[in-house]
Amino acid sequence: MSVILSWDTWRLLLAGTVVTVELTASLLAVGLVLGVLVALGQAYGPRPLAALCSSYERFFRAMPILVLLIVLNYGLAFLASTYELLWLRLPAFAVAVLAFGLHSSAYQSQIFRGAIRAIKPGQLLAARALGMTRWQAIRYIVLPQALRLAIPGWSNEYSGVLKDTSFVFAIGVTELTRQGWQIMQRTREVFLIFITVALIYLVLTYLGTWLLEWVERRWGVPGLTGQRQEEYGRVI
Amino acid sequence: MQSIVRWSVVVGVLVVALGIGGLVPQAQTQTFKVCSDISWPPFEWTDAKGQFVGFDLDVMRIIAILKGYKVDIQNLGFDSIIPAVQAGQCDIGASGFTITKERAQVVDFSDPYWESNQSVLIRTDSGLNIITAFKAGNKIGAQRGTTGAQWVEDNVINQGIKVELKLYETYPLAEQDLINKQIHAVVEDEPAAKVAVKASKGVLKIAGIINTEEQFGFLVRKGDPNKLLPRINDGMKEMKKKGIWNNLVEAYFGVDVNLDRVTQCWADLKGYLDKNQPDAYAENMAACMAGESYKKP
Repeated sequence: MSVILSWDTWRLLLAGTVVTVELTASLLAVGLVLGVLVALGQAYGPRPLAALCSSYERFFRAMPILVLLIVLNYGLAFLASTYELLWLRLPAFAVAVLAFGLHSSAYQSQIFRGAIRAIKPGQLLAARALGMTRWQAIRYIVLPQALRLAIPGWSNEYSGVLKDTSFVFAIGVTELTRQGWQIMQRTREVFLIFITVALIYLVLTYLGTWLLEWVERRWGVPGLTGQRQEEYGRVI
Repeated sequence: MQSIVRWSVVVGVLVVALGIGGLVPQAQTQTFKVCSDISWPPFEWTDAKGQFVGFDLDVMRIIAILKGYKVDIQNLGFDSIIPAVQAGQCDIGASGFTITKERAQVVDFSDPYWESNQSVLIRTDSGLNIITAFKAGNKIGAQRGTTGAQWVEDNVINQGIKVELKLYETYPLAEQDLINKQIHAVVEDEPAAKVAVKASKGVLKIAGIINTEEQFGFLVRKGDPNKLLPRINDGMKEMKKKGIWNNLVEAYFGVDVNLDRVTQCWADLKGYLDKNQPDAYAENMAACMAGESYKKP
């Protein structure tokens, strides 16, 4: 029990938590940018581009994240040492962000594609009729609505990848789970340590989804996003 | 106008300073990446402050001092170390690796530095012994990728005795399953098994030792591209000659050693290594770990 009461233990667990949060934030950012691009490519791109985006999305959705991590980590290192390409020698954290970012972008693209499809095509036609270019219509009419509609799905993606990040120890990044692992090796308090780690993940998930709900409320558009539904749902 | 002049001067000074800094030839100290699964006391583990401690790591640090290079210690899963050495991501693997034919085909080993036997860990109340522990139908635990797991496969399962080998990510989890009565015995290296017995406060005991006479070695990429093996082997000889080796063995494997003391000892004594005084470090480490008086640097 004394293990959990010691400040040293908490300092180590918090150091791991920081790595987990940094990793989750970076991979979601990489995935967001790539995911939106892929979704737009799929929805509005010319045929060959749409097909390319679809195969990208299928490929990365088909890869188990652990396999992708190992392939990238050892693959890049192999290329770096065989062809003397030193810039390919990325730190493990960067490899993790890359692998997770590619993986998440495939999932995120589907969240955004669904959100884009929820915008009625009539809006795009109306925008064009008002003299907007195709890109302007997408930029000012479709995207602002689609990004708002994507928040609930995105919140789900957040809580999913947050926990998947515990795989990164396979390539040597010491995040929350691994810190718990190391304390467990020393103290042999398996249950106590991991129940604490579990609670930290719970808090992170709760805080993250709460933040996203706040964003959804703050920037929500009445009639477009779901709050009305929920309000009426409670009354009716 | 004045500020432009001032800034130009600042920039100019910086450029010159950087330029000179770049021109002066700097003494090149090479840094090598040492990879270890830092989760296996007393060979390597993390102390209460999260510092990397243990016998293997001290040997690596001291050889680096003696041979004039630097080491950067990386924590990696045991299974991943050999692939990482092959891919050139790690220069040295130091994680209590037993020298085996299979491993020697893909990496090169240093001279052996430790001899270990496998021990059979059981629950004190189970009434098993080293023979009955391997009765058909029993569940035996070991860590994935270790010679302990290999021994059970070769000498029990392949001999036709139908035990069930349960593989774990790490030995402490196997020991926990043993304490929880999920398995009947655990096969692991003797020094680590002794740590487990001590930690279990009498719940676990060693039923017996299997004389596998395994030899541990440090490993590097096939062909030793950085010419590390001669330095490691020579460094170990030098450590033995100077008595550093014996002091380290005393520090981590001695009878009176309490591994929990390592947090304090490492914090107090690592300064000796920073000052390139491995002799004083090892001597005081042995005293500190045994609970005797020692001198801080």
